[in-house]
Amino acid sequence: MSIRLLIMGLALACVAIMGGPNAAQAQQGPLRIEITEGVIEPLPFAVPSFQPESGAAGQMAVDLARVVSEDLTGTGLFREIPASAFISTVSDFNAPIQYADWKAINAQALVTGAVNVSGNSLNVKFRLYDVFSGAELGSGLQFSGTVDGWRRMAHKVADAVYSRITGEGGYFDSRVVYVSETGPKDNRSKRLAIMDYDGANVQYLTDSSSIVLAPRFSPTGDRVLYTSYESGFPRIYVLDIGSVSRRVLESAEGTMSFAPRFSPSGETVVYSLAQGGNTDIYTMDIGSGQSVRLTNTPSIETAPSFSPDGSRIVFESDRSGTQQLYIMPVTGGEATRISFGSGRYGTPVWSPRGDLVAFTKQNAGRFHIGVMRLDGSEERLLTASFLDEGPTWAPNGRVIMFARETQGAGGSSSLFSVDISGRNLKKVPTPEGGSDPSWSPLQK
Amino acid sequence: MDAGYYISGAGHLGLIGWLLFGGVFRPDPPPFETQEVSIISGAEFDAILAAQRAPDQATDVAQPTAPEITPDAPEVAAAPDEMIEQPQPVQTETPPPDPAPEEVQETPPAEAEVTDAAPITPEPPSDVAVLAPEVAPTPVPREAPRVAPEPVAQPDPEATPDPVEQEAVTPDAEGETSTQEPQEATAPEEATTEIVTEATEAPRAAPNQSPRPPSRRPEAPAPQVAETPSENANDTDAAAIAAAVAAAQSSAPDAPSAPSGPPLSAGEKESLRVAVSSCWNVGSLSSDALQTTVIVTVSMNQDGTPIVGTIQLASSSGGSDAAARQAFEAARRAIIRCGAKGYQLPADKFGQWQNIEMTFNPERMRVK
Repeated sequence: MSIRLLIMGLALACVAIMGGPNAAQAQQGPLRIEITEGVIEPLPFAVPSFQPESGAAGQMAVDLARVVSEDLTGTGLFREIPASAFISTVSDFNAPIQYADWKAINAQALVTGAVNVSGNSLNVKFRLYDVFSGAELGSGLQFSGTVDGWRRMAHKVADAVYSRITGEGGYFDSRVVYVSETGPKDNRSKRLAIMDYDGANVQYLTDSSSIVLAPRFSPTGDRVLYTSYESGFPRIYVLDIGSVSRRVLESAEGTMSFAPRFSPSGETVVYSLAQGGNTDIYTMDIGSGQSVRLTNTPSIETAPSFSPDGSRIVFESDRSGTQQLYIMPVTGGEATRISFGSGRYGTPVWSPRGDLVAFTKQNAGRFHIGVMRLDGSEERLLTASFLDEGPTWAPNGRVIMFARETQGAGGSSSLFSVDISGRNLKKVPTPEGGSDPSWSPLQK
Repeated sequence: MDAGYYISGAGHLGLIGWLLFGGVFRPDPPPFETQEVSIISGAEFDAILAAQRAPDQATDVAQPTAPEITPDAPEVAAAPDEMIEQPQPVQTETPPPDPAPEEVQETPPAEAEVTDAAPITPEPPSDVAVLAPEVAPTPVPREAPRVAPEPVAQPDPEATPDPVEQEAVTPDAEGETSTQEPQEATAPEEATTEIVTEATEAPRAAPNQSPRPPSRRPEAPAPQVAETPSENANDTDAAAIAAAVAAAQSSAPDAPSAPSGPPLSAGEKESLRVAVSSCWNVGSLSSDALQTTVIVTVSMNQDGTPIVGTIQLASSSGGSDAAARQAFEAARRAIIRCGAKGYQLPADKFGQWQNIEMTFNPERMRVK
């Protein structure tokens, strides 16, 4: 028996030796490869002029397509293929797409649309195509509004296109409130202004009779908190954008309150209050006016910002001897320091995604806008200049807007935006100088 | 009491033994110098002394140059004497060259030391290579190839196009870009070029990972081989051996209908990987999608083009379903775009790449 088992083993060994090479050569299953390196470049897309479905929609169709294209191109993630390169045209919104013609010019995404104007009513619909897959990406969408709000319609189309391709929310249908500045540095007049995210449709909310600072949007985008020196001392005001009416948040005599921000619920305000030479952080219920002191140290604590879930607050403090960033519970208590790099950190703002904190950093005579993880890791400086400050997040947490002031007595302040990767730094057009921007949530 | 004697006896014995044989266990003696001494007799010593005095005596012996006293043949000897006198003044009295070295010492500090080095290097080419490499091997090869070949080749053809390129640059630097200096502060633009550059690098000779071992199919029919054991049907063990052999053989040569061939070489697989990588654009993906690894399967035509309808998402990991969908679409675009004209794959190995499973792992492309 044992001999037979030995023979059996030898036979199996021989078969294994003889069959081994064949087994190695045979392809079992599919060929497998792993790709770990790609390219980072703007995705080429084409937006032919939208189809006017009414006589009055001719120019509107052209303008809508242009704004959609500008929105996408402005992100730095997309590259528009000029109309002069088009091989075929889209003459009918429902006609089949000639994919070969768009492939030939390397258009990877194609946006087609149609516009219908009836009186003051505007109707816009669009389709998005993945050219190389030869299929529509998502289904067609239609927006209705007024002719006056045609730019918002274009922004909404661009938001939908952006979201379908990138997989994250857009930020085009949003607004920015900021401090509009005119005049020299030593005699600069300031007033609150509001505009579309791209600098269009600027409107002024206050006059320039008193200094205004640090406007902040409410979570719903209908109110603005800001600090004004109208009374001679800094005080916090709440401004209703729709009615342009305002009221002051009361504070005790002899105190100065500033740096306010809404809580995610919009019912509470966190702010700094200076009293007797000491500055600490407080929260106030807007409805009742009840305030709660969150910090109580001899150092300066200011620039608080809520986490998106409202459970924590990030702020700046010099309690360690230099200006650094800390995170504490919304009820106050022990704070955890998160910034440890060289230089001074200030004006922290929590990302809408909740994963990053944007900040201003001063180091070696230069200012930077940067981001870091909540534990202070992966600090990444996005800009560097004579003076960069006041970061604010886009609704999707991908872009940061801030103010940049140029050097010299004739220097001025302007608004800039940058992707959190550090790419696509560009100036935001404003009719005058601008500072202290605050980005609104996406409009409903 | 006895114990005391025993102990004392043992101690004394040990002491005596150590005195007698302790040298055996002593470590090696420290090194010391030795000199050999030989004993010689008085006669030998005198001989040595005599040898030391030998020179004096030798000189004395040399004096008896008896030939000088024998002037028997003066005429004959006189001729050779004259011959000998001639060579002596030529060489021995030439010492006047002694002042010459003094002059040499003055000239070198002024010019010779500097010029010596330079003249030496030009010599090698004229003489022989034997001297040149010994004197200056390193400086010559470094300077020669970099300086000599390029300026000689370039000046002629590129002399004229240079001004054309400069003119093209100046109009670009107009207005907007010059005023918006802050754009220089964007660090990631460099990152973009780096990543692109890496992606466009020439395919590496060695693969990044070892090929996966081919999986053996657990079950496969073995009809023909199973008949052979019937010859030994009476023996159950023989039948078991035959069955085991059949099972082992059946796992090796499978007979697919598609034309198979040798497996793709590492270079062929790398070529395919690089081709797809060059079209895999993750620039427009969300951060969530950049956290998602997707495995995509695709069937290929024999001309190397992918069958678009067969591109499917096999699995994903690391992100939400929405992120996986975005990552899959980017992967699908990459496969289709770069495969539009057919991937460079060996036609005789079509069976090996008819079905491909691609893993798109964006870990290295992530913005951190």
